[in-house]
Amino acid sequence: MSEDSLLGRLYKDGETIVEEGMLSRTMYVIQGGKVKVVKNDKGSETVLALLGEGDIFGEMSLFDASPRSATIKAVGEARVLAIEYEGLLKRIKVDPTLALRMIKQMSQRIRDLNVRLISAQRTMHHASDSLLQLKKAEDVRIKDLEPNIITLITRLQEKLHTITEQYVHQDESLRED
Amino acid sequence: MKEAKAILHDGARVAIIGGGPAGSFFGIFASKLAQDMGKTLDLTLYERKSFFTHGASGCNMCAGVISESLVQTLALEGINLPSTVVQWSIESYFFHTLEGSVEIKSSRLRQRGIATVFRGSGPAGSLAKGIQSFDEFLLGKAMEHGVCVNRSFIDKVCREGEKTKLYSAGNILQECDLLVGAFGIKGATGKMYEDIITGYKVPPTVKTAQSEIELGNDWIAHRFGHSIHIFLLRIPGIKFVSVIPKGDYITISVLGKDPKLDHIRAFLDHAAMKKFLPSGFKVPEKFCHCFPKISVGAARNPFAARTAFVGDASSTRLYKDGIGSAYITAKAAAHTALLHGIEEKDFREYYFPTCKFLNRDNLFGRLLFAANNLISFISPISRSYFNIVQGEQKNPEKNTPYSDILWDMFTGSRFYKDIFFRALHPWCIIYLLGAVVIYPLKKAVFSFINR
Ligand SMILES: Cc1cc2nc3c(=O)[nH]c(=O)nc-3n(C[C@H](O)[C@H](O)[C@H](O)COP(=O)(O)OP(=O)(O)OC[C@H]3O[C@@H](n4cnc5c(N)ncnc54)[C@H](O)[C@@H]3O)c2cc1C
Repeated sequence: MSEDSLLGRLYKDGETIVEEGMLSRTMYVIQGGKVKVVKNDKGSETVLALLGEGDIFGEMSLFDASPRSATIKAVGEARVLAIEYEGLLKRIKVDPTLALRMIKQMSQRIRDLNVRLISAQRTMHHASDSLLQLKKAEDVRIKDLEPNIITLITRLQEKLHTITEQYVHQDESLRED
Repeated sequence: MKEAKAILHDGARVAIIGGGPAGSFFGIFASKLAQDMGKTLDLTLYERKSFFTHGASGCNMCAGVISESLVQTLALEGINLPSTVVQWSIESYFFHTLEGSVEIKSSRLRQRGIATVFRGSGPAGSLAKGIQSFDEFLLGKAMEHGVCVNRSFIDKVCREGEKTKLYSAGNILQECDLLVGAFGIKGATGKMYEDIITGYKVPPTVKTAQSEIELGNDWIAHRFGHSIHIFLLRIPGIKFVSVIPKGDYITISVLGKDPKLDHIRAFLDHAAMKKFLPSGFKVPEKFCHCFPKISVGAARNPFAARTAFVGDASSTRLYKDGIGSAYITAKAAAHTALLHGIEEKDFREYYFPTCKFLNRDNLFGRLLFAANNLISFISPISRSYFNIVQGEQKNPEKNTPYSDILWDMFTGSRFYKDIFFRALHPWCIIYLLGAVVIYPLKKAVFSFINR
């Protein structure tokens, strides 16, 4: 494949395409390679999604002007075509159906998010059921139960924390993408 | 009793004549929308050419520049151009005038956002491998969407009541509910329609000259870079010449008054172009060339009952982005047929406004190109414009209104009306006229001081 015929911009492995917190209304279509959507939290990086050829990101910037809420980095070499905001708006004015693919992609992400949310709710129900069962066990003295309850609560807290984090990040990545 | 409205019902037969970009785009968007609506259409596209052959016979003869806006639009539609189709990616335009040369980049995006392609499988006599025809690529996309491609030449069309019959070499090929004319302007098919569709008239055209010169990939990369080169050299009879890099070849596209092969030879011999050719370069005895017609107006009544014309056979943007216009008209016609109906009034009400939008925009385009011609023929103004643009390009991060006007005009990135009103902004004119006075004064003062 000749480098001379590749469209867009080439990003090296780990190079940042979109920076969290920055204001920009450009959206992108991946022409080749992969990119990851990441969220930085106190030095640690959580990967929220991996996107590949043909995927669109940054399309929420078409609908609102909020700062980018996640960072997008190249995974290996990635070729990315930027879509200019003002030109796109003018084209959408002539042909509103141009926005359909973006809306379809967004609705797909909302569906995925719903599935994750339901699974998170199930885990929480499961945990609270276990607690109730423990409480119902009459022959166990509260004092004996204390260490068990504490471990369970800590685990539950941890689980809840990761689930809410995931949800919030997914939501933000949706806003970002 | 009220007659039932003519619509594309499930299983309706649609015949598309012409497998250039307009025909393929119609097939793709009609099929996509039908699927979204839960319908199946029986779509057949007729194309007489094989885009697998080299030279003009397998090519739809154009400069092959896929505009910045079309590259982006296609990517959003999920049609990414593969590197076998893209021969060269472009990031800037060079303007060569008698005043000097200046490179202009997009002030909005820094990337290689324009593609150059071969419409067929490459120039006549070329042995180049790995070239994929752009038109064949789009036909492939249409086939992926369920369009059936028939390589026949439609030489007769008969209307019988609500049906249209298509013939080739005396044989009836099919009957259809909707006929789509995507036959372009290069052949005589349009004239056939003038006879059978009352009111339809093919667009006016002018002749252009095109050629492909082999210089080798390395030389092209080194000398032409990732740029399209526009030469505004005041050669009599020539408006401008575009040189477009494509792998081992450059495409030379001449726009002027009845350009001939001699104009291409004269251009290759011009000092401004010679700088770009290897030393000792001799214009080959034979090289791939053609004189295709380009549309300079709009078709009259590009629709009738159960008939729609799209692409060049309908309306197209003046001198720019013809393939982008094919996308716009084909998609608008496909959506009209599926969402509103296939009666004449449906096309008039829902499809024709898109054509009129392009036609109206071309009026502004005409004015802009006339102004550009005038400027390039009046030395003091063209020198001032050149100096301003050169100054802007030294600080491209700042506001670059004059460069943007040139960029948008020659890349087709914005509609002409938009560019026209920017060019007509009082400050734009005052600054330019001011420069006409100031630059010679500045020059005189400098030369006086130096003396
Ligand atoms: C010199 C020149 C340079 C240009 N440069 C550019 C450029 O750089 N970028 C750009 O976007 N546009 C450019 N254009 C414009 C562009 O070529 C056209 O706008 C575009 O090709 C229109 O597409 P279309 O599908 O309507 O017609 P066409 O591309 O002409 O396709 C029509 C097809 O119909 C087929 N056909 C015709 N009659 C029949 C029949 N009876 N039966 C079966 N098949 C039939 C033909 O074989 C052909 O394949 C240029 C044009 C010229 C002349």
